[in-house]
Amino acid sequence: MTTIFFATDVHGSDICWKKFINAGKFYEADVLILGGDMTGKAIVPIIDQGGGRYRAVLLEQEFLLDTEVETEEMVKRIKSRGYYPYRLAQDELAELNQSPDKVHDLFLQEALKTAEQWMAYAAEKLSGTGMRVYAAPGNDDQFELDAVIRKSDVVTLVEGQVIELDKDHEMISSGWSNHTPWHTYREETEDQLAARYEVMITQLKNPKNAIFNIHVPPYASNLDEAPELDENMRPKYAGNSLKPVGSTAVRAAIEKSQPLLGLHGHIHEGRGSSRIGRTLCINPGSMYEQGTLLGALVKLGREKIEHYVLTQG
Amino acid sequence: MSDTSLFIRKATGLVRSWSVFDAFIYAFFSINLITLGLYIFSQMYYLQGGLVPTLVISSLFILFEVIIYAAMIAVMPRSGGDYVWQSRVLGGGVGFVLAVTGWWFILWLWVPLYSDMLRHIVITPILGILGAQEAALWFGQTNIGLFVTALIMLVLVTIYIAAGMKWYARVQKFCFWGGMLGMLVVIVMLLTGSPEAFKAGLETNATALFGAQPGVYDATLAAGQAAGATLPLTGGAIGAIFLAMPFIVFFNLWPNWGATLYGEVRGATDFKRNFWGMAAALIGTVVVGIILLYAIAHTIGWNFYVNANGAYWNFAWGYTDQPAPLPVWPYPALLAVFLTTNRVIQLIVIVLMSLWWFGWSGTVFLSSTRVIFAAAFDRLLPEKVAEIEPRTRTPLYALVLMVVPSIIVSYLFAYNLFNFRSLTLDSTLVIAVTYLGTTIAAILLPYLKKDLYNASPIAKYKILGIPLITLAGVIFAAFLLFLLVEWIFDPFLNAPGLYGIGLQNKNSIYFMAGNYILALAIYLGFKYYRKRSGIDIEKVHKEIPVE
Repeated sequence: MTTIFFATDVHGSDICWKKFINAGKFYEADVLILGGDMTGKAIVPIIDQGGGRYRAVLLEQEFLLDTEVETEEMVKRIKSRGYYPYRLAQDELAELNQSPDKVHDLFLQEALKTAEQWMAYAAEKLSGTGMRVYAAPGNDDQFELDAVIRKSDVVTLVEGQVIELDKDHEMISSGWSNHTPWHTYREETEDQLAARYEVMITQLKNPKNAIFNIHVPPYASNLDEAPELDENMRPKYAGNSLKPVGSTAVRAAIEKSQPLLGLHGHIHEGRGSSRIGRTLCINPGSMYEQGTLLGALVKLGREKIEHYVLTQG
Repeated sequence: MSDTSLFIRKATGLVRSWSVFDAFIYAFFSINLITLGLYIFSQMYYLQGGLVPTLVISSLFILFEVIIYAAMIAVMPRSGGDYVWQSRVLGGGVGFVLAVTGWWFILWLWVPLYSDMLRHIVITPILGILGAQEAALWFGQTNIGLFVTALIMLVLVTIYIAAGMKWYARVQKFCFWGGMLGMLVVIVMLLTGSPEAFKAGLETNATALFGAQPGVYDATLAAGQAAGATLPLTGGAIGAIFLAMPFIVFFNLWPNWGATLYGEVRGATDFKRNFWGMAAALIGTVVVGIILLYAIAHTIGWNFYVNANGAYWNFAWGYTDQPAPLPVWPYPALLAVFLTTNRVIQLIVIVLMSLWWFGWSGTVFLSSTRVIFAAAFDRLLPEKVAEIEPRTRTPLYALVLMVVPSIIVSYLFAYNLFNFRSLTLDSTLVIAVTYLGTTIAAILLPYLKKDLYNASPIAKYKILGIPLITLAGVIFAAFLLFLLVEWIFDPFLNAPGLYGIGLQNKNSIYFMAGNYILALAIYLGFKYYRKRSGIDIEKVHKEIPVE
């Protein structure tokens, strides 16, 4: 039977991606599935001070980097946290500060550059091993990312597709989410999400033995509890007040089709598993900023889950 | 959009920092002056270290606990707290045993303690003021009254859990403002009253509301002296002050109680916000506590207050057959409202003060639920216990694991079977051991998990080259070890001892050992069972090697 390792929301963290690629061997899994949100949320400028010296601020700490070794070490630290390091001169920094469009372009450039490096790493480690890797970009990922994944010989882009994992199990995948307060790239209404899922579900030979790899968790599944925010995007009640923010369309699809397994992400603090009818739904959560790869190891049986466990790699 | 140190794009979950004041409120309720504080102050009647210096010095040590927890949140935010921190640094077995004992099993014992406070702070005073003297005394004096209160408490907690934290967070905020208003009124009444007025008010109200005999004031003084009541408000030798600390931490060891909820920490500013949310609550509680104690001394009289406590507990603990002349627990807010005979004012003040209990009690099983869920996700408990009942949105099986043992422990406590009422400080000892586990993890973190530590916003905080988290950890670990030695090797081992839970109290040792053995048995049992089903629990917390 097939053993899958699922992780999600690595958000640009180099260390998490590398752990993900190495997880198959470590956990003895046959298939690696990445649930979306691969790209980073921030760029840390490493500012040229002249004479081979640089300055950077990470986590509100200022670092003066006197040597190339120190600068490279800082680049590594920034990448581990899921941010993009970017070396630049003072002039370019001033220019970026004046131009949101240029910052947008820079984000795209760095996200794609990192994705290309990640695909190369995956190829280096997994080519010829027989390990299959599937990825569906999430709502936070730019559309241009898809083309980079498509070019990979090792990682398969599975957005909107039905994939046969083994002779008994098929998987549908989507990284799109319901609307969020941040208006990210891949968001749409619940009706549109429902239609998106329906197209895939109708192609399944046996929905009851399928895996729904859908980035956004089902509504009110306990996997979608996020801090309630006020109008200024500040967590209410010191983060004590949580509310469900998952998708009703995902929930309806699972309730109707009752697949074997739901793999979800999106809500980093929603780590856990829950049942909707017979369907086991899992959100391994995310701690990408700490370089910890949260994941789920699931052994699929015929018409059942043999066993599963949430991991903290 | 940007500044010169960081560019951020639109992405899910990028939120602003939470309000420090909100964090303060929840920490302030966790070290609850009116429930935990007054309850344990009253039991310290026979100690010789001054209450005020004990409060101040112990809180100084607990500030190091605040540093440790704020730092651990900065390194591993939203991760699940002690369980995950200890599991990652010290290993899954240690993390599991210390988390389930400290955040779950020992909460069974906290239920009758919360209930004892509920009856003394809420039920008995309100029923007495409403004229239901018999019912007030039934709840306040009888074993079955305490047991029924525990059942009421469990019903309330079940409602809180079913309603969810979204609702309860709002209740807590309301209770904070209402409780503070009540406290202000009590302090003003005490500061503007006089000992003579209090004595007269006590005689009038205690006899009318609770059936005390005339001359209750003098009789209480005599009973207190017979009980050996000595606790000074200030002063006391430094040794005596330190000996009082294992008592007072029952109340002020918890500013970190809700801290593991705090969210994403992006920099030193967020670390400081975490720190100040908890530290301000601790410092604020100390300040308000000192004001309240001086207000008590001003009008009730420190001597009377301590003697009344001595008289009450001497009978409650069975050291005398003579019931206390004041038939109810000497609750300072109730004693304050004795300064008036206006029942409406009395009722309003006591109801406002009862909000201190309601705003605090809902969190009793909050952490238990989280630990049970986390253990189930790690497959160390059955999947079923993390299930949410769809109709009521309640974690039904987890609730059973919390409530059923609590009913049994509450029964033992209420009827004092196996001398269970002597185990009060076990409730603190077991959690202190859990905190010690986290403190050791904090001390070792910069050395065992270098990458994790160096990537965190606290990496820059060093004193003489030593990481702040390590230094704070060493100081707080020393404090916890001192407490543990005092509790276990009681300086007065001859019965009943100073704290009553040490080696001289076999029931206490059996109870605590039972907790740890049960936790270890669950861990080893499930580890073996999962291994047979193909899951290697050892690997769950192991870091994936990057080649």
